Amino acid sequence: MEEEKAQPTTTRNAASMEERALSVFQSERNEDLTAMIMTFLCTFIVLVFTKWI
Amino acid sequence: MSNGSEQRLSGIVSILFGAIMLGYGFLIRSGSLNWLLAYLKTQKEADLQVTLCFVLGGLGILVGLIYLVRKPTGSILDNYVLGPAPGMMMLLLICMVILWYMEPMINIWSAAAAPTLKFSFAKIFNLNHVVLGILVGILITNTIGIPKFAAQGVKTARFVLKMGIITLGARYSLAELTNLGQISIWMIGFFVVGTVLLVLWLGKLFDTPHSMTGVLSSGMGVCGVSAAVACAPVVKAKSHEMAYTIGTILLWGVGCMFLFPTIGKILDMTPTQFGSWAGTGILNSAQVAAAALAFNAVDITTLKVAEIFNITRVLFLPLIVLILAYWFSKVTGDTSGRKLSLKEVVVDKFPLFVLGFILMFVLSSAGVFGPAQHYQGKYLDFSYSKRTEITPEELQALGAFIAVPENVQKLSDKEKSALNDLNTQHQIAGDFASKNDSKLFYAQGKERMETIEAMVAAKKIKDKKAEGALKHAVKQVYKDSKTITLLTDLMMWFFAYGLLGLGMQITWSSISQAGGAPLIIGAISGTAKAVLSLIVVLLLIKEAI
Repeated sequence: MEEEKAQPTTTRNAASMEERALSVFQSERNEDLTAMIMTFLCTFIVLVFTKWI
Repeated sequence: MSNGSEQRLSGIVSILFGAIMLGYGFLIRSGSLNWLLAYLKTQKEADLQVTLCFVLGGLGILVGLIYLVRKPTGSILDNYVLGPAPGMMMLLLICMVILWYMEPMINIWSAAAAPTLKFSFAKIFNLNHVVLGILVGILITNTIGIPKFAAQGVKTARFVLKMGIITLGARYSLAELTNLGQISIWMIGFFVVGTVLLVLWLGKLFDTPHSMTGVLSSGMGVCGVSAAVACAPVVKAKSHEMAYTIGTILLWGVGCMFLFPTIGKILDMTPTQFGSWAGTGILNSAQVAAAALAFNAVDITTLKVAEIFNITRVLFLPLIVLILAYWFSKVTGDTSGRKLSLKEVVVDKFPLFVLGFILMFVLSSAGVFGPAQHYQGKYLDFSYSKRTEITPEELQALGAFIAVPENVQKLSDKEKSALNDLNTQHQIAGDFASKNDSKLFYAQGKERMETIEAMVAAKKIKDKKAEGALKHAVKQVYKDSKTITLLTDLMMWFFAYGLLGLGMQITWSSISQAGGAPLIIGAISGTAKAVLSLIVVLLLIKEAI
């Protein structure tokens, strides 16, 4: 039973490590948060130049 | 190679790429490449090319110099900026080649081949920056390989792709849904969600990886390539799974594009019926338009209806992103042997960038980036403005055309009225008397515009000058939101960069390992959707929607 539970966890860890190896970010949360902040910053700049100035 | 020499190489490479960009920027600015830009029809982008080359080239040289004089300390600056910089410069340079040279060249070849082929192969095979980015990436990684200095930069691809997906949210608006007919919303909603669920079930049946099933379901259910790209990070699809899905979708669409018009003619479908069917059953927007035109090139109803159904389908993308994010969190949670609670699925495991996409969609629907009723940044504006009017020469040609009774005697009253109104008001608009009732004014203007569009498509106006005036009048009421146009340009860059980098993670062996299951699942779900939608269309849709 212990073994059965451990196997998927190991597989998940391996998948997670493989995923991190393909990114410069240490966690997905960091990657998503940075992507969101950068995009909204870009959007704000676009709005400033196309609408508000 | 020692760390010191690797660092020196990275510095030199950054300076080299920066210098190439600056050199190209100077060439464009000096005007010596104007002939090339004119041939590629990219003159309008000259200023953008110069600005981007100067800014990015300057940054590349700066980073290169820092590399040469500073030792890395493992700081945030080293990990997230300096480390990936040489690879990012390489990707940006290739993106410039793809967006400024490859895509325009393919469009030119496609236009040249169109009279012989009777279709635009660039549009039908979706050979835009998205597909080209993946193809170039696959080609590089499987031939010369990824240079060592670029390895860290290639790892920024998925992050940049996520930025593109968040920006994609700005192109859609919920308000557009309210302009569409009830039947099309319910019918498309049923087929989009139904196909997604069918593919998820088939994936379980064929025991394909969850990530592959997820990305395939969005592509088959919603709108093809862009949906597959948008949903890939949501279900953590691997690069080759996304490429496989895009290949399946495009191949399936090409088959349908040729088959649908023949079936439509055999079944003697009306233009409305065929437009509804093509708009529901075919995945790629260009393929939908090609099938509609192949079925009936004269009556614009077929194309219009197909486009309405196509637009409706795309507008379901935010909903599908949410459904897939929830589904994926739940199925991957189950592998640990215990069921996840709703809080764990929605709050803890939900991909954060999806919230960014939804937030952009909400801002767009609220009219922050352009009028709320826009679709992909385009909207109709019938308000009185000198900039919407046709030119005095066109007005004269139109007046002369209307004055000859033989020219208008075969036109319907509605068509005559639309021509007379354009002649009187100098632009397509609603009745002057109803200008204070914005809804009525818009509806009247839209009806006139559609009448004029239909007349031009059916070639009812024999005089070339008058026909030109009508085409111009229609063009004048289609406006672009500057904000959304610029955000779309940004999104194109994010997508080209992200997919180029993801393409570089695809090896031939990874593609062959995926096996034929996605093709089978794609074919089953696509056929099921096509057959079911055909039955529903024949039973429910008679004439107008």
